[in-house]
Amino acid sequence: MGDVALDVRDLRKAFGGVHAVDGCSFAVPRGRISGLIGPNGSGKTTTFNLLTGVVRPDAGQVLYGSTDLAGLKPHQIFRLGITRTFQLTRVFREMTVLENMLSVVGLGVPDRAARARAEELLALVNLTTLRGEYGGRLSYGQQKLLEFARALMTDPELILLDEPAAGVNRTLLQHLLDHIHRLQERGKTILIVEHDMSVIMNHCERVFVMDAGVTIAEGLPAEIRRDARVIDAYFGRRRQA
Amino acid sequence: MMYVVLALSWNIISGFTGYTSFGHVAFYGVGAYTCAILVADYRWPWLATLLAAAVVAAVMAVAVGYPVLRLKGPYFAIAMLGTAEGTRVIATVADPLTHGGLGISLPSAETSLPTYYAMLALMVVTVAVAYAVGHSRIGIRLSAIREDEGAAEALGIDSTRYKLAAFTLSAVFPAVAGGIQAYKILYIDPPSVFFVQITIAMALMSMLGGKGTVIGPIVGAVLLYTVQELSWVNFPTAHLIAYGLFIIVVARFMPRGLVGFAIDRGWVRKGMVH
Repeated sequence: MGDVALDVRDLRKAFGGVHAVDGCSFAVPRGRISGLIGPNGSGKTTTFNLLTGVVRPDAGQVLYGSTDLAGLKPHQIFRLGITRTFQLTRVFREMTVLENMLSVVGLGVPDRAARARAEELLALVNLTTLRGEYGGRLSYGQQKLLEFARALMTDPELILLDEPAAGVNRTLLQHLLDHIHRLQERGKTILIVEHDMSVIMNHCERVFVMDAGVTIAEGLPAEIRRDARVIDAYFGRRRQA
Repeated sequence: MMYVVLALSWNIISGFTGYTSFGHVAFYGVGAYTCAILVADYRWPWLATLLAAAVVAAVMAVAVGYPVLRLKGPYFAIAMLGTAEGTRVIATVADPLTHGGLGISLPSAETSLPTYYAMLALMVVTVAVAYAVGHSRIGIRLSAIREDEGAAEALGIDSTRYKLAAFTLSAVFPAVAGGIQAYKILYIDPPSVFFVQITIAMALMSMLGGKGTVIGPIVGAVLLYTVQELSWVNFPTAHLIAYGLFIIVVARFMPRGLVGFAIDRGWVRKGMVH
């Protein structure tokens, strides 16, 4: 499969008696767009939170190069070049669009360069005219774009997107996907958690499927579509005829 | 002047970072006591004790802040209230050091002019620091913690460190103010320097002016102090009623404070960085 950007090995996390993630393993290929899918409650979001340090894993490893991310704090993981967006947008509501952009840590550049970079990214997502407006006053779609732009401030290597299509109209979604493809062309690695099958099937090069906390399948989108285990997980087991 | 210092300091932790402290008087009181003890019992020079007050408050802020800043919202507020009350009780019972409930009398000075200049200098420094914090990326990050701590961490902000730094900074200036005030009034005892009203004044002035801004607490402190004095002079019997009415009117029509009101009307630009 070639170069691996993120190698997830036998990740486990239980909340009380619930084994949310129960031996999840997959390898995210570098420089590609990958998708993580699964029915509701299959452990996708917990996996995402484990990868980004929001939740500490009980066992398992998340290898990013030679670094094990398991047990690191969110801000430490971020500074290694991994960034995420949230399922429901989490822009800073009573801060201006520009301040949202500048809040990011670890740019390693002086203030003036950060400003220039913020302006450049805002222009990319067509938010330049709203730079002085509060984040909370933007429409949902605009907040989504702001969050996306904010996530790119540090020029991260690995970008994790939690349901980018949720609550977004088609035009805007196309816009976002164009950006995502452009990032990939620049060699970035992208992992998308998504419910929207058309996004996964048309844009991901590799798909991982989770069910009941375990990765049950992986492969090309076309293979996944025909995979019996995946169909079972989504639609229930077919009765024996 | 003292209230400008207090309101601005409170605003650093509570206005920017959103951790509402109901016990900031603890630092004021500790500062006052540090100075009083060092001058009255150990004959330290005056200015050196102010420096000592700042150091003691900083150490205390780190020690208290490290566990307490893990609490959020009302729990943090109550923990701080407890800290202030606890400190007051300690000051009352730690007899050999603090002279307990009897309080400490400071050697009197011939003129109160030095305390005036000291407070003026402290105010200038506090305003400068508040401005530097507010209009920098540090201020933006503190605000980000207020808005959404989880998202802030996901953007690389080490929230524990930033919160602790903000908390410590917000403790140092009130301590020095407390020390200067002790020289001015020349006698301190636990109820007077750990007076809950002082915390309330800090919070009220910040919110009235517009918390999370730099100019807000300054405006709030000046205005509220003036209204307080005016109502006291003009309605000697009912001054608290007049004072209370004023606060209600402002809170009702300008819930985000005077500066927030101006921002919403478009008179002042939004945000600290343009």
